[in-house]
Amino acid sequence: MLGLICILLAYCSFINAQVIEQDTSAQAAPAQNAWQQTLNEARNESVYFYAWGGDPQVNRYLQWIAEQVHVKYGVKLEHVKLAQTSDAVSRVLAEVSAGNMSEGQVDLLWINGLNFATMAESNLLEASWVSLLPNFALTNPQQNPAMTMDFGVPTNGMEAPWGRAALTFYYDSAYAHATASSPPSTLQELLHWSMQNPGRFTYSKPPDFLGLSFLKYALIILNQQQEADVFAKLYQPPTVESERQLLSPLWEFLDQLHPYLWRQGRYFVSDGASIRRLVGDSELQLGFTFSASDIPGAVDRFGLPPSIRSFAMKDGSLSNVHFVTIPVNAKHKAGAKVVANFLMSIEAQAKKQQPSEWGDRTVLDLSLLAPDQQLMFKPPNQHPSALPVSAKSPSLSEPHPQWNAVLTEAWERRYGAKPW
Amino acid sequence: MVNSASFFSRWVKLSPSILVILLIVPVVAGLLGVLLPAFGWLPALGEDTFGVRGFEALWLTPGFVKMLALSFSTSLISTFFAVVLSILILGNYFNSRLLKYIQKLLGPILVIPHAAAAIAIGFLIAPSGLIMRLFSPWLSGAALPPDTLLPNDPYGLSIILGLTLKELPFVLLMAVAAMQQREIKQVIEGQYKVAISLGYYPFTGFCKAVLPVLYPFMRLPVYAILAYSSASIEIPLILGPNTPPTLAVAVMQWFNDVDLSLRIKASAGALVQILVTLGVLFTWWLLEQCVKKCSFSKLTNGRRKYADLIWRVLTHCLTLLVLFAIALALLGLVLWSFASYWSFPNAYPDQLVTLHWQSAFKQLPETISDTVLVALSATGIALFFALFALEAEQQRQKALSSAASLMIYLPLLVPSIAFLFGIVWVKELIGVDAVFSMVVLGHLLFVMPYVFLSLATSYRKLDLRYAKVAASLGCSPWKVFYAVKLPQLVPPILFSAALGLAISFSQYLPTLLLGGGRMNTLTTEAVAIASGASRRISAVYVIMQLLLPALGFILAWLIPKLLFRPRQ
Repeated sequence: MLGLICILLAYCSFINAQVIEQDTSAQAAPAQNAWQQTLNEARNESVYFYAWGGDPQVNRYLQWIAEQVHVKYGVKLEHVKLAQTSDAVSRVLAEVSAGNMSEGQVDLLWINGLNFATMAESNLLEASWVSLLPNFALTNPQQNPAMTMDFGVPTNGMEAPWGRAALTFYYDSAYAHATASSPPSTLQELLHWSMQNPGRFTYSKPPDFLGLSFLKYALIILNQQQEADVFAKLYQPPTVESERQLLSPLWEFLDQLHPYLWRQGRYFVSDGASIRRLVGDSELQLGFTFSASDIPGAVDRFGLPPSIRSFAMKDGSLSNVHFVTIPVNAKHKAGAKVVANFLMSIEAQAKKQQPSEWGDRTVLDLSLLAPDQQLMFKPPNQHPSALPVSAKSPSLSEPHPQWNAVLTEAWERRYGAKPW
Repeated sequence: MVNSASFFSRWVKLSPSILVILLIVPVVAGLLGVLLPAFGWLPALGEDTFGVRGFEALWLTPGFVKMLALSFSTSLISTFFAVVLSILILGNYFNSRLLKYIQKLLGPILVIPHAAAAIAIGFLIAPSGLIMRLFSPWLSGAALPPDTLLPNDPYGLSIILGLTLKELPFVLLMAVAAMQQREIKQVIEGQYKVAISLGYYPFTGFCKAVLPVLYPFMRLPVYAILAYSSASIEIPLILGPNTPPTLAVAVMQWFNDVDLSLRIKASAGALVQILVTLGVLFTWWLLEQCVKKCSFSKLTNGRRKYADLIWRVLTHCLTLLVLFAIALALLGLVLWSFASYWSFPNAYPDQLVTLHWQSAFKQLPETISDTVLVALSATGIALFFALFALEAEQQRQKALSSAASLMIYLPLLVPSIAFLFGIVWVKELIGVDAVFSMVVLGHLLFVMPYVFLSLATSYRKLDLRYAKVAASLGCSPWKVFYAVKLPQLVPPILFSAALGLAISFSQYLPTLLLGGGRMNTLTTEAVAIASGASRRISAVYVIMQLLLPALGFILAWLIPKLLFRPRQ
């Protein structure tokens, strides 16, 4: 016990040193006391972390996190593996609607975008706790609006950034070599490539997150020639008029593309992960993902052929940050905060960015770190299938989250029921 | 002793009622929990006016009629195939040793979880699946997987294939179990012998002399699979189309959608699902009536054969085909679980590696212990009540009323998607926070019927003369029960236990919903991983899903052998 307290105190002083570097104002002392109190409360708590469990790499990384927070803070972290995040959203909603306001089962939730917007709107989330986390300062939120905005919605301290992702494409270079066709580098080229290679590309059916991401990428690219004020409507809640203006180019494009998709667009896989499986089965020759880092790992675990190469579209990549959040009725809030803070620690973020671990890009602002700490983030050597470090592609930010529902519903209306 | 005796008599008296209550209350409560939101009452969303908005939204869903048609046709056609195949196999192998072998082979398939079966069949029939690889490129000429619409074809053919393969063993084993009941056995064997001696060909003789007696005993199981398959989740989810999917899958997706206002539509959909299931059952009943009417005169027309030879050859072929497909699917699973990269069109992986097993084994032990713990609890409770309820039946010397028997079937007849969401809603309303016991209760709903039904046949077949002798020598009912009846029943009890465990292992929806994701069993993990990208890890989990129940059955088969070795 004594030993643990010593370790804890030592760690706190390390944290304090960090905080003092960032924040020399007189406010630091009460903040430290509050954080110390959180640490004390968190000891021996069991934190139920609801997070998508479809990726063994992520699951392994979370096992490591669990070991670390147990040793460092005495928090028992349980990873509840979700097939989809919305399961947890409905759970919290059911609890709150039944009047369960402090005994909730979900302590911490991996979330972003629409799930977040939905929960924030229904007041299902604990507010204003993120700025209390000592490590949050390392993300440099003043200079970096992506850390406090989630799909254009301000986070108001309801969720702590955990990692970031951009839409990355990958293809089988052996097939490209055999058919003498180079992979597409813009949306228009993608259409031509599909016409030349029918049935070798598809996207997942909305409301799947990855499929929607592809639709949003197309939506942004296809509307770039529009007037600036029309284009700006993508970042506001959709209206009948803006839907008409912005969506019609998309439908035109999809009507051209669908006959050349896998299964002529008569069946769309339900989840994004299936795209990678189908590329592995060589049914598809071109895939895309939001976690570029998965690709080398998948090649090493034989899920993808060794001839896979990743690339970023020249006309732009949709990018976003993913977060962890605490439901308003969580039972173990202190423990959840301690875990969320550790997820943003240099050690955990550096490990997460290593391709061999997970390869999810860090949310920390590396310019704030000491040179030896920055070195921790460098990959040892580049995997041939990984996205080249030199790959440059303009970042396309996510449209307003309400576009998701509009896209899903309109897509469903147009393509959701195929005639026999 | 006195204590245990009075305890025993009290529990025996209470058991039938407790058993029925255990099964009815959750189902009824769950149905209420869906009924209210379906008509617009969902206070959580600030919806507290009653109306039919949910049904209107349902009607406006693109492809809604197609969803209904898909649910309706896939369940009806697959059950039809399963029943016809069962009749062919029973009729052609009646009284032959082959039936025993087929029964032994198909038995294990009965307990393969639906999710596992769906994944395995998907591995088989996909354009890049094992069947295509066996014929490529030398026959099909395909250097790349063809772009064909299998599985997930819009007509639901893959669903029908999956459901038929899953239902066939169930119908077959239920029929065989009925045939082994003493009074039925005497009747059908006697009639069959007479038919054969009168010169009837075997299959015709079976259809005319045995089937009319046997079918009434197969009816409930057939209705149960009709109900199940019209609302099943795993097989249509993994093998079915999604533009649009079947109704049950769509309802589940609406319930899980981030857009919470879809709850009302989902609840309305769950109610419509009940109507679809009723419609399927009614259609089957009409079919039965038609068959009865049409075949009535044929039964007594004296014709001795109806192309018997062709039927026999067809049965041989179909049985071989089914067994071959199963063997190939298993082979495919094993290969995938050890496969390094496996490029198309090779029928064999580039290399075999143990990597996938190693990475799965890091997470498996905890999952397996949870799975087994839940299954043991649910099966233990089910065995306890089933045994005592059957004992009560025997002491009262009258069978359970048909209403009570129907109640035991209730959880199998009401689409689970319709009441499970309701149970969660009620659970939240009352504020129950017990995870483990809720999951066990949920499993009990589905384990209980199987355990009771499989025990009932043996219990009712028990030779009561031993018990009567013991009683006349002054033994108390309790002593008769544990010293005379139980030892005679060890093999069937162990078999029922193994069956109960297997049913519990395979539960997906109850575990997910009632456990709130905190209870990770092998099946929930397998479905979560099936939605992931790794075919190989998926194969490892499916194999574990097959091994675990198999282990239960092996133990059930071994223990009596070890206990009752003939003494020298």
